[in-house]
Amino acid sequence: MTKNSPVLIVDGHLDLAFNALHHRRDLTQSVQTLREREDIYRDGVTPKPLHVDALRKKVRVGDEGIATVALPEMRAGHVGIVLSTIMSRVQLPSNFLADGMRTQAAAHAIGQSHLHYYKALEGAGELTFIRTTADLDDSVAAWQKAGAEASSDTPIGLILSMESADPILGPDDVQAWYDAGLRSVSLTHFGSNTWGHGTGTRGGLFACAYPLLDALAAAGVALDVSHAADLTFWQLLDYWDGPVHASHCVCRALVPGQRHLSDEMIKAVIDRRGVIGMVLAEPMLNPAVNFDDLTTAPAYSTRPMAAIADHIDHICQLAGNNERVALGSDLDGGFGREWAPVDYDTITDLQKLPGLLERRGFSTEDVARILHGNLLTFLRRVLP
Amino acid sequence: MTDMPLILDSHLDLGFSALQINRDLTLPAASVRVGDSVDTQESYGTCTVTLPELRRGRVGIVCGTVMSRLDASDRATRTGMYNQQQCHGVGRGHLAYYQALERLGHLRILHKRTELDEMASMWRSARIGLDGSGPPLGLVLTMESADPILSPEQVPEWHALGLRMVSLSHYGTSTYSHGTATEGGLLPPARPLLAALKAAGILVDVTHLTDQAHWELMDIYDGPVCASHHNCRALTPGQRQLTDDMIDSIAQRDGVIGTAFDSWMLDPDWRRDLRACDQQSGATLQTVVDHIDHIAQLTGTSRHCGIGTDLDGGFGTEQAPRGLNTIADLQSLVPLLHDRGFSDDDVAGILAGNWLRLLGQHWKDSL
Repeated sequence: MTKNSPVLIVDGHLDLAFNALHHRRDLTQSVQTLREREDIYRDGVTPKPLHVDALRKKVRVGDEGIATVALPEMRAGHVGIVLSTIMSRVQLPSNFLADGMRTQAAAHAIGQSHLHYYKALEGAGELTFIRTTADLDDSVAAWQKAGAEASSDTPIGLILSMESADPILGPDDVQAWYDAGLRSVSLTHFGSNTWGHGTGTRGGLFACAYPLLDALAAAGVALDVSHAADLTFWQLLDYWDGPVHASHCVCRALVPGQRHLSDEMIKAVIDRRGVIGMVLAEPMLNPAVNFDDLTTAPAYSTRPMAAIADHIDHICQLAGNNERVALGSDLDGGFGREWAPVDYDTITDLQKLPGLLERRGFSTEDVARILHGNLLTFLRRVLP
Repeated sequence: MTDMPLILDSHLDLGFSALQINRDLTLPAASVRVGDSVDTQESYGTCTVTLPELRRGRVGIVCGTVMSRLDASDRATRTGMYNQQQCHGVGRGHLAYYQALERLGHLRILHKRTELDEMASMWRSARIGLDGSGPPLGLVLTMESADPILSPEQVPEWHALGLRMVSLSHYGTSTYSHGTATEGGLLPPARPLLAALKAAGILVDVTHLTDQAHWELMDIYDGPVCASHHNCRALTPGQRQLTDDMIDSIAQRDGVIGTAFDSWMLDPDWRRDLRACDQQSGATLQTVVDHIDHIAQLTGTSRHCGIGTDLDGGFGTEQAPRGLNTIADLQSLVPLLHDRGFSDDDVAGILAGNWLRLLGQHWKDSL
């Protein structure tokens, strides 16, 4: 690979369907178009809508944030393969992000709406589902062939993941989700849900979680420990023998908050040959922000993309190698450009990461491992 | 035996209420009301329809919608979409909610004529608890705005999932037709879609078409039609209501018109520029009967009259006719209809029988 050719970027965590269905973003359009459509609600030229959608109200200013992720920008940045979520959870709508559902039936239905949005995109040739190692190899080959050439018609490779397992109605519903393409699941998200305690709460798994874990293991799904409460994390690793990763997590040793992984947790994931995906969100990269109290977060970000270098370095030190770090940007995952790094505008800018990381002392080989190699190796272990 | 007749409601946006308004429909309405936030109450109104309330009113069979539309200019609810792919996703979510309720035993999605008939006869004599407990409800899957159907080739797949009635448009302009509050007719994709719907035995619902689109549809389509939730323009002015000629055109196809319970469609003085929570409806259940009676007088029979309330379809109890607390109160229509001179058979037909006849007649169980 020459110095100037783009590096394939594999992003371990994006909430594409959530953006399309809940923020009404038509992801086939450019980020610029998405912003123009949203500005009519933001710039005060037109009156505020008569009805304000109560579900979309956030705890802080900025609403859903300024859009940065769309399929054309992903292709332009060679963000060619992603784990993208089914995301819905049972949680009182008044809590935190205020997008929780009241019943598991509703969370299941929202999850299905995400799945069928992805299928509609696949039908339109915008993306292709990756269900097997062969599918993964095909997608990698397609993106490598695209190289520096125009890649505007290369479909994005999508590995279906799930953030909060509430959309799975029970152990007997796992196979249907697996058949649909589901390959990675985090049991919890914000708050406590059907299966156990997640971010912002204290406690572990509920009894019903264990039969679900059995079914997930039998199907061959990877376990994502992101958003597990501390006790949940250790109960998960005690019980689960299958592949483990942290799709989007950073280091608690560097930034405070239960949302982040302690060194013991990182070592546990390393011991299981898991990978940890670096997140590009100000509240997870700024040591002055305590994730347990988001009022400590500034309204706008203060750090550049290279802020993930400290976390990468920390994990590499704990691992003694460069094999356990990946990318799980979570961009547009409930925040927009205002909480993304200051030198970031759209997801195309992820292609700046190779240069930025090399300037921080990472080798070309390190960069390739971080931006695609490590996660691809992990996925090859998970996929049939 | 019971003195409460079976009611079939031909238009309820249950999936929208559960997923977009975010309500637990398995609770009594009073419990949903105390759980709704002030924002939800002011945006969508007070909850009127839940599964226990339906059972208490013996509304044993409902047409439950898949509802998502292209509508970039939707400033009101911010649920209108920019691309059919998004509508398809949201629509499949509504279906998945009904399937999840089916799994839990709250309802059954009706696929076959025999299932429809069995559900009707079961509900005519079902024991209903004062708390709204009772057997599973029957749900006929319908669609308001055909945008979730990505192409005519997808119609057989939707039919297999249970879809039995479709309106081409809603507010604004859909992929297939101009709709309420716009001017214009059918769009080119309507023709192959209509052919696919006819082949599948899926009823075409003319609700929310523009006048021009209504007549174009009657011109190019010779299959069965209905109006799932539509009132009379002779009584309530406005494009959203059917002219007498339109009512005749539906009756000539032996269609059924479900009378809607939205005060905007019942009370000529209802003000859309005010919030529903700041005004009192001038409509009562007598106003609803006025519309039913108008259709019956115009067509000389009650066989084209039905109930398609649309309750909780973006509005709440305050925009429903005065005197209706929850959908269980639909039973209050019975004495009012008798007072207008409708016979027991007429009343049974208006409340359920006419829709059962029309639905069963055109379903193709063999598909």
